Amino acid sequence: MGDFSVVWSELLKIFPILNGEIVYPLQEIEKEVFEDVYRHLNSLGSVETFTAILDLEVESTVRNILAPKLWKQLASDAEPKEKSDQVMTIAEITAKDGLFSKFIDAVNELYDGYRCLLEMKPRLIRLNKNAASSSDVENIKSTLRNALLARLPPTFNSFISDFYSVHYGLFTKDSILSSTTIDSEVFTELPCPGCNYDHDQCCCQQLTEMVNSTNLKLLEMGLIDRLAGSALTILIKLKIKEHINDTCLGIFDRSHLKQLETWINDVVMTWLTSIFTEWRSGDDINNEQIPESVQAFKVKLTYFMYETFAQNVISQFFSIIIDYPDSTPAIEDLKICMEKIDMRVHLTESLRSALEARILHPGVNTMDILTGYVAAIKAIRHLDNTGVILEIVTAPIKDYLRKRNDTVRRVVTGLTEEGPTDLSEELAKGELIKDGKDAGLNEFSNWENWEPDPFGIDPDVLQMNNSKIIRSADIISMVVDIYGSKELFMVEYRNLMADRLLSQLDFNSEKEIRNLELLKIRFGESLLHSCEVMLKDVTDSKRINAHIHGDGNINESTLFDITSLIISAQFWPSFNKESLQLPEELENEFKKFTKAYESYKGNRTLNWRTVTGRVNIVIEIGERVMEMTVPPTQAVIIYHFQHKSVWTLDELSSLIKVPPSALRRRISFWQNHGLITETEPGVFSLLEEESEKIEFEEMNITDADEEDLESAMASASDQREEELQVFWSYIVGMLTNLDSMPIDRIHQMLKLFASNGGGVEFTQDELKHFLQRKVREHKLLFSGGVYQLAK
Amino acid sequence: MAQNISPEQSGAGGSSKHSDDSLPVKDNHAVSKRLHKELMNLMMANEKGISAFPDGENIFKWVGTIAGPINTVYASQTYRLSLDFPNSYPYAAPVVKFLTPCFHPNVDLQGAICLDILKDKWSALYDVRTILLSIQSLLGEPNNESPLNAQAAMMWNDQKEYKKYLDAFYEKHKDT
Amino acid sequence: MKVTIKSWTGVASWRWIANDENCGICRMSFESTCPECALPGDDCPLVWGVCSHCFHMHCIVKWLNLQPLNKQCPMCRQSWKFNIH
Repeated sequence: MGDFSVVWSELLKIFPILNGEIVYPLQEIEKEVFEDVYRHLNSLGSVETFTAILDLEVESTVRNILAPKLWKQLASDAEPKEKSDQVMTIAEITAKDGLFSKFIDAVNELYDGYRCLLEMKPRLIRLNKNAASSSDVENIKSTLRNALLARLPPTFNSFISDFYSVHYGLFTKDSILSSTTIDSEVFTELPCPGCNYDHDQCCCQQLTEMVNSTNLKLLEMGLIDRLAGSALTILIKLKIKEHINDTCLGIFDRSHLKQLETWINDVVMTWLTSIFTEWRSGDDINNEQIPESVQAFKVKLTYFMYETFAQNVISQFFSIIIDYPDSTPAIEDLKICMEKIDMRVHLTESLRSALEARILHPGVNTMDILTGYVAAIKAIRHLDNTGVILEIVTAPIKDYLRKRNDTVRRVVTGLTEEGPTDLSEELAKGELIKDGKDAGLNEFSNWENWEPDPFGIDPDVLQMNNSKIIRSADIISMVVDIYGSKELFMVEYRNLMADRLLSQLDFNSEKEIRNLELLKIRFGESLLHSCEVMLKDVTDSKRINAHIHGDGNINESTLFDITSLIISAQFWPSFNKESLQLPEELENEFKKFTKAYESYKGNRTLNWRTVTGRVNIVIEIGERVMEMTVPPTQAVIIYHFQHKSVWTLDELSSLIKVPPSALRRRISFWQNHGLITETEPGVFSLLEEESEKIEFEEMNITDADEEDLESAMASASDQREEELQVFWSYIVGMLTNLDSMPIDRIHQMLKLFASNGGGVEFTQDELKHFLQRKVREHKLLFSGGVYQLAK
Repeated sequence: MAQNISPEQSGAGGSSKHSDDSLPVKDNHAVSKRLHKELMNLMMANEKGISAFPDGENIFKWVGTIAGPINTVYASQTYRLSLDFPNSYPYAAPVVKFLTPCFHPNVDLQGAICLDILKDKWSALYDVRTILLSIQSLLGEPNNESPLNAQAAMMWNDQKEYKKYLDAFYEKHKDT
Repeated sequence: MKVTIKSWTGVASWRWIANDENCGICRMSFESTCPECALPGDDCPLVWGVCSHCFHMHCIVKWLNLQPLNKQCPMCRQSWKFNIH
């Protein structure tokens, strides 16, 4: 047995792990010792047994010593690190007692153990030639990996990520240096981008060596892929996000995708390759050297890069819309991304909520919403020419705009005046509106250009918006479409034009005529027929006025010149019901004009709308002389104060046929000018003496205009109840003669026969409510899906 | 300045454009415009006892309804009629027929009506409303000189007997 | 105080001096046009018969041209004669 103990101690020398000793490098063993041990084992016939024991011992060392030791080292006082989003500086990471150095130490130790175990193998082979097959390097590696993975502590990923952050920082130092635009003088004052130390203390060199050797050890042990893979992925994704934020955020006027792809290739992939191979900077990489794992990474990361970039662009899409067309490159980029990745749902949702938050609230004025809407149309159409995304995204804007009562006015203003919406430019382009039939034909005749609806959109939505017409229509049609019909839009246009012509009264219609011509090209003549007559009235009036003012056409002498806009009332919107009775001597002047008109245009006469107009008056009071232009009502009021300096509201009201409330408002104009004062409630007196407080040197029409801004036309909402009454008459009429009808037929009949070309719109939903009301009022019966009159 | 020009006297000038396209008007637009207008007036007037409405999408085909005039044998009956407007309306009369069987001296069994204003006494001033009112009064005051239904004309003098026959007639045609 | 009116720019609507509002033939307002016309007034004037009835000129001319024998006023069936002032 003495021999055996000698042999055992020699065995322990050769295989220190049998004694639980893990040392590296190992003590050199003389050849004789091997031979001696071999002889003994062989004589005992236990070479194979020993081989098995040693293999078991190697495995158990890996499992029970190396792995736990590593984890213990890394976990010992690893206070659960609060993983804040803030990335630690490299100086913090590399601090002596930090995780970084702990990690490096632990890896070094693990590596020593690993090497030690590796050495066991050749030594065993020297004892047993057959042992070669039973246990090899790969076996140890995989045992090591498995043992480590089996007890992976939760903190491990943060070690890896810190370590590779440093690695990445050092690695990309050069590319950051080369891409930076900061001039060198300033640059030296900033910390080194590699190690984050001041330049004079830069320890990049030293750190790089440390990091590289540790990485090589991990690589050699085959641990990077399995152990560090997920942490690396997270780290790289973080780096990609950072990079995209740093280089792309807020920059829409140039394309980023190429630059990003280059960056992924040149920086990220090279770095990854350097981790997964023994490649050192300065070597060329050829593709064969890039391991498969890295190739697989590349696919994943490129995808991730596109996704991140697209999300980045989408999150800024509102700004992109506003910047359009300067932001075209950003849209082009997104377009490419969307070909690779389906992000439509994300895009539509994100954009809808962005639009809602940014423009669809009461604080935004209608013109700005319109501007946003037009910009959105242009930008989104650039992105998706099928129009489906556009329709989904802009639906809330349309709904919202429809609820604002000044929208049509703003659109018309936008169409006919220079402004931020570019609508006037669009109109000037004069593209024809596409109507349904043509669009339908095109779909078949241009089948080669057919494109499927974009993927990822709820088919119900597509079904709902089956109007390909709208999708492919131009911007003006899209804007007009807010209102559901061009008829309604045209009605409002006519109202606006009437207001403008009546308030300006300058007989200058050239601009209006030009606009009208453009609108006619787009919307067709029939809808704009009234407008055409209105403008002709303006030019005709000019001629008639000139004739009447010509020599001898007014026989009697006149007190003042009258110029009149003579309108064809049938073609103008109906006036509101305001009235104004003129004093007799003024009325006579109008009679003279009417008489001259009658003799010029046989069998025709004039009905004066006295309340509308502009009167140029001179007021002489005391020392003062004022000349001003005021609306007729104001002129008549002050005129009456000439002969009677005190009036009660009621007296004056019944004399000039203006209701007291309206009259009071008009009188206030003169109160503001210091000519009239309310001496007691309802009693107004002329102020003959100049009141000191009030200066009225510069008085002009704008003062008067401001309070007289109300339209001379009857408001659209006034007409709604009347319309409903008209509809009801038609419904009674059709049910009397056609007995019973389902709602869609009633709706169709109303559209056909009750709309009268005036753009009367009545959705089926509205009709349903209306009919249900009539059922409740027992005017109608509803059964079996049809309506009929109650007997 | 000329007023109230006579086209005959002022030569072709004022009227050539319109007198040339005489006889059946090719352009339906003017006709449908007038029919729309008539429909509107009719709907707004909402006259008791008469009513009419286009039968479908075609404004040139209407269905009319008239109540039998009170104090006549036709009282409390309701009659449906069809009105077909020609392209030359209102310069030519519409074709008006009873849809509801009507036993009457001036109405034949196919529903055709013999009424002068629908024939030679037509005027462009007549419209759906005046036509229906005329037919309504024709019910109570038939022209027995030129009957389409000789039996009815013969029976007319005995109103009691006539009413009896009429009731039996309705019973027979209840379903139509 | 003295108020002098120097000039007045007003608004008036023109109308035909006629007994009725609408043309009996086309049912359009006199101040509107006959169905064939686009512009009212000078371009689509009214004419009077000696019977004092008036119509859009284009409407009555068309009516008269369609009467093969006696050209009558569609209103009173008197023989139609243009009333020239």
